[in-house]
Amino acid sequence: MTRRLLGHLLVLAGIALALMPPVSAGESAAPLPNRLASLKFAAIGDNGTGEQPQYDVAYQMDQWHQRFSFDMVIMLGDNLYGSQQPSDFVRKFERPYKPLLDAGVKFYASLGNHDNRSNDAYPLFNMNGDRYYTYVKKDVRFLVLDTNALDPPQLAWVERILQAASERWKIAYFHHPLYSNGGRHGSEVELRVLLEPLFVKYGVNVVYSGHDHIYERLTPQRGITYFVAGASGELRRGDLRRSPTTAAGFDQDRSFMLNEVAGDDLFFQVISRTGSTVDNGVIHRKGTS
Amino acid sequence: MSRSWRDALAYYPLLPIGALIALVWANTASDSYFRLAQALAFPVNDIGVAFGIASLAQDVVEALGPGHALRWRTVRLPIVIAIGGILGTAVAYATYLHFTDEQILGDGWRIACGVDVFVCVALARLVFRRRAAITTVILFAVTSDAIALILVSRRPFATSADAVALSLIVLAVVVSALLRRFGARSMWGYLAFAGPIAWLGCYWSGLQPALALLPLVPFFPHAPRPLDDLGSDLHEHARLSHFESVFAYPLQAVAFLFGLTNAGVLLRGIDTGTWAVLTASLIGRPAGILLSAALFRDHLFRWKELFVIALIGSVGLAFALFLSTSVFPEGPLLTQTKLGAIATLAGSGIAIAAARALRVGRFA
Repeated sequence: MTRRLLGHLLVLAGIALALMPPVSAGESAAPLPNRLASLKFAAIGDNGTGEQPQYDVAYQMDQWHQRFSFDMVIMLGDNLYGSQQPSDFVRKFERPYKPLLDAGVKFYASLGNHDNRSNDAYPLFNMNGDRYYTYVKKDVRFLVLDTNALDPPQLAWVERILQAASERWKIAYFHHPLYSNGGRHGSEVELRVLLEPLFVKYGVNVVYSGHDHIYERLTPQRGITYFVAGASGELRRGDLRRSPTTAAGFDQDRSFMLNEVAGDDLFFQVISRTGSTVDNGVIHRKGTS
Repeated sequence: MSRSWRDALAYYPLLPIGALIALVWANTASDSYFRLAQALAFPVNDIGVAFGIASLAQDVVEALGPGHALRWRTVRLPIVIAIGGILGTAVAYATYLHFTDEQILGDGWRIACGVDVFVCVALARLVFRRRAAITTVILFAVTSDAIALILVSRRPFATSADAVALSLIVLAVVVSALLRRFGARSMWGYLAFAGPIAWLGCYWSGLQPALALLPLVPFFPHAPRPLDDLGSDLHEHARLSHFESVFAYPLQAVAFLFGLTNAGVLLRGIDTGTWAVLTASLIGRPAGILLSAALFRDHLFRWKELFVIALIGSVGLAFALFLSTSVFPEGPLLTQTKLGAIATLAGSGIAIAAARALRVGRFA
């Protein structure tokens, strides 16, 4: 009798575990550790369509935010497509992300090729009128670049900021990917030969980009992990041309990323529009597994 | 060998070779190509091209100077259609961008204003027998490029202009004027004393450094020659003009390096900017030329001749490539618009096909 009861309890416990959200505090087996003192942020790219799929992704972001309380969202460019009138900022940004904005989540945008240059003055993008800027959160230095115009003053600024940065983590994000196996655009080699030497020299750990409307994680390139996360609104289904540099990818639906920096580890989890996890893992500050 | 081919070989042989190497290299071993191209960009585009532009300006100054004064009637039509062409280019570019949502490419219309003088001259000689048509094409191309140079002279990504830097340019002009006043007959005096001052003035003020020698050219030693002689009879003329004599072969090297440095673009980079430049050059400029000619009501040419001249004027190629490096810094916008500049070469085929179909000039 006791053995049967124990068996039932085990089955029930198994069912309960399966139904639980994939991330909860204290579960080391879960993709994201969700530690109290860690830095948590989401990443979205090529999102600003104002159409239903963007709203679906935004809904998933809100659902996950209730379990994994990220403080900020990094935007990888093409934050608004098409018309960029004040009403468009409402339809393509403020309305879909309203629950997050209401919860105090801050968005830090970079500019894509579809963004008007003047969008850097939009207060909710937190760019303070600068098309490239930097900020620090906990022990992470974020570098936000404008790859539409990677001019000499910007390059000199990047070197100056990285040289002076003393934070444990250095993360760069911008619109055009230095590495990508997206079929439509692919790697922006002209930008890569300018930026990669600086990133390597000054120890940038992780780089996030959009532009290709897919999700891709690349195998570390010269010690740096590159993500392409350009499918948070737009999608180019089947556009990922897998190569030996593709560590993981997803091109069947929209997606967004959740990230957590805890000590020497950066945990990431990629969620699709329907809420399923399509990639996850951890990047150690020196090397990746 | 026809004169047009002879001229093309005299001025242009190494640029397309450099461009072809660059295109193949960029699309097969892109990392090594772009590292080299970016190392070469400054010496080639900011220094070497200064001599190329000065050489072209020298040709024009000699053609327009004392002894070869052109009649107003010859000059006014090319000026009108050059202005019309630029307006047409700008309107077509803006219209194209209006139907996309990449306003970030807005500055690129100035790239499409560039006209490749040497390709246009070669095409004009290939199509037309009449000197008037060739002279019109040359004047149109030179006027268009002069306006385009003014439009891009200040680089948006350069450091801010200051009075000291601009006064260096004025100082260089004064030095050149003094050299001429005291009868300096050698090119080297102008280049050695005034040239570097003007270049530094341009560089520090944020003006395109390749324009540095332009204000000095009117003071260079020169000898008059007919305008439709532009870019030809190099060796006969060399005895009279020191600049061409000294720089004929170095400029070939510059042309090769220019092609190698600037024409290497990833073909997968074709995007909105490419189509915008192409639309503006191949549709906007010919339309602007024809419209302005219609408003001007000059009867120097028949309509079908003007149509072919307008199509010849659509080729931007090397000059548009040069302008693109002044408008956009390294990155995808530059790649897209460079591809558009290269693709305007299609305008030459369209112009020849139109001349054949309409039985214009030698095809009559």
